[in-house]
Amino acid sequence: MVLAKAKIGFKGSILKVEGKDKIKKFLFSLGCFEGEEITLISILAGNYVINVKDSRYALDETMAKNIILAEQ
Amino acid sequence: MKIALAGNPNSGKTTLFNAITGKTEYVGNWAGVTVEKKEADLKKKYNVGKELLRVVDLPGAYSIAPFTGEEAIARDFILDESPDVIINIVDGANLSRSLFFTTQLLEIGVPVVIALNKGDIIDKRGDRVDITSLSNQLGCPVISTTAVSEKGLIELIKTAVATGKERINPAFDKTKNSTTDTERQKIVDLIVKNSVIKSRDASKVNLSDRIDRIVAHKIWGLPIFFMIMWAVYALSIEGIGGRLSEYFNETLFGEIIPNAVGTFFERINVNPVLQSLIVDGALGGVGAVVGFLPLIMVLFFLLALLEDSGYMSRVAVLMDRYFKKIGLSGKSIIPMIVGSGCSIPGVMATRTIEDVNERRMTTILTPFVPCGAKLPIIALFSVVFFPEASWVGPSVYILAIAVIIVSGKLLKRLFIWDSTSHFILELPEYKIPSLKHAFVQMIDKAKGFVYKATTIILVMNTLVWFMQAYSWNLQAVEDQSLSILASVGSGIAPFLIPLGFVGWQLGAAAITGFVAKENVVATFAILLVVASEDALHMPGGVLTQFFTPVTAYAYLAFNLFTPPCFAAIGAMNSEMGSGKWLLRGVGFQLGVGFTLAMLISQIGTLVFYGEFATGFVPAVVIAVLMTVFLVYSIRKADVKRQIMELAEEEM
Repeated sequence: MVLAKAKIGFKGSILKVEGKDKIKKFLFSLGCFEGEEITLISILAGNYVINVKDSRYALDETMAKNIILAEQ
Repeated sequence: MKIALAGNPNSGKTTLFNAITGKTEYVGNWAGVTVEKKEADLKKKYNVGKELLRVVDLPGAYSIAPFTGEEAIARDFILDESPDVIINIVDGANLSRSLFFTTQLLEIGVPVVIALNKGDIIDKRGDRVDITSLSNQLGCPVISTTAVSEKGLIELIKTAVATGKERINPAFDKTKNSTTDTERQKIVDLIVKNSVIKSRDASKVNLSDRIDRIVAHKIWGLPIFFMIMWAVYALSIEGIGGRLSEYFNETLFGEIIPNAVGTFFERINVNPVLQSLIVDGALGGVGAVVGFLPLIMVLFFLLALLEDSGYMSRVAVLMDRYFKKIGLSGKSIIPMIVGSGCSIPGVMATRTIEDVNERRMTTILTPFVPCGAKLPIIALFSVVFFPEASWVGPSVYILAIAVIIVSGKLLKRLFIWDSTSHFILELPEYKIPSLKHAFVQMIDKAKGFVYKATTIILVMNTLVWFMQAYSWNLQAVEDQSLSILASVGSGIAPFLIPLGFVGWQLGAAAITGFVAKENVVATFAILLVVASEDALHMPGGVLTQFFTPVTAYAYLAFNLFTPPCFAAIGAMNSEMGSGKWLLRGVGFQLGVGFTLAMLISQIGTLVFYGEFATGFVPAVVIAVLMTVFLVYSIRKADVKRQIMELAEEEM
């Protein structure tokens, strides 16, 4: 399942991050990579607010489609 | 000895830098406030030895491998200029993310001392960090700090100096530890597990999230944003700031000071030419500008509060979907809000936008937001021509938004943008903005404004006074229209006729505006004080001989939307990174300001007075030519785009 399809409050682990290398690396440095825990906090004005490690990040839909979550 | 401050964005590097150097560099509660490295000497209070200690504040980075331009600055500095010691500021509120960058720093081979910052937040959350364990695992000293209240900073500096002097490299085993980045992350996780006891689950919805759900709501978000911005401007322009400025302009600089100085000079028999130069030229011009100081101070105070609260990132989230439609990123709103204070930091703030096209476009559009220096022009024109109306100020901002939207759409069609943008932004937790911080920022900006008024504006005004009083052969002239300034202004004046502006004075004022926008007001003050006894700022004052209310509004628009002052153009130059793009940007701004003023003047005169304004015929010709040029350029760009698409398909 992609992050863009997840329901608010979803908490699980990341299966895979797709997309351009540069963006993947950036997400990686934030701690957003396979195996890590991720929580979908809210969807605000079309953006996905996630919790990774101890911080909140807002991602647009294109990026949210590139984050694949592990099925529970 | 050189100390470098490095760490994640928004971890408090600049707050710490300001505390230990006594500087007042720009701080805000969002990621990417600092875009350039800043250097200063250590404050005496912290300098224990006799040696000169230089501190360098680097832009924030999440990783040594750069993603944005300012991250590259941090990396290049550490690798190329090898500081004697790095103070790695670690955000205590997000230890596990920060330590990824830390482990990279530890492997460079430069002494590192860690400042575990935001100690207050760690305490508030009830988390516990075992400093000794952290220090043992990382193989370098760790000092707990709270930069906002200067806690732990003396110990931090002492340790950093000692470590740097003895060149104690971190005992963090590179070979044993990380071979790949994934392993590095695992090691970091282990370190955190061994040394941190968390009592709070970060993935639970907290107060910040609840506030976000209101202020970044898809329906309520925009009205809330507009209300907040309206409040900021209402308080600065019409509230306390405006009231004080009114007093300054009309009483203090209008009567008290010129009269006092005039009487004083007469008593000591100063040469009348010198008297006129000082009273009418220097004091009149500078006074017309300095009078707006309270207004600008209130504006910067409120903007600092706003930036400190953490709200800016939310506006970026809110705006992203609208800004995407005109080829910008949600992050483009931050330069624009900052630009409402001053375009220069506004333009510099575009550096956090990763996509080069979005960055260039934001750089072109940010100066369209009326900056603090343009407020005197707005205030002057609205009080003289629209004394009863309260809509003029707000209308300028609405016009600015409209100009930005139309310009964005136009730029998107005119040039070829290969935009593959992604939006990602950290949302820091909200905090109650510090009044002290806002006050310090306000005083800092006020100093800058007074400095500008007493240097560049003073020189310019003296020059303007001289140019309007003398002819080319350096003879004093009775009639201004024979002066140097008149002949320079006359050179520009023909270009302004299609806009319905008649008179060399208008050309002259617009030119001085490129040096600093406040000069437009100052130049009118100098030019008109000679021509009339009435004060410049009076409703229906002397300016009415040049303008009707419609052409006055057009002239206002002309000064707001043509290219910004030279200093801001300089900032545009460094952010564009290409002379060609700077030329395109400035050319575009000139076209927008010119066309807009022309349309307001010509159409407005026709609609409100039922007559043709001066220069109607040339205006029509220019409008037709402009349309042809735009259609042609857009067609050309369309064809290019098609060719590029075809080429991509073939590949």
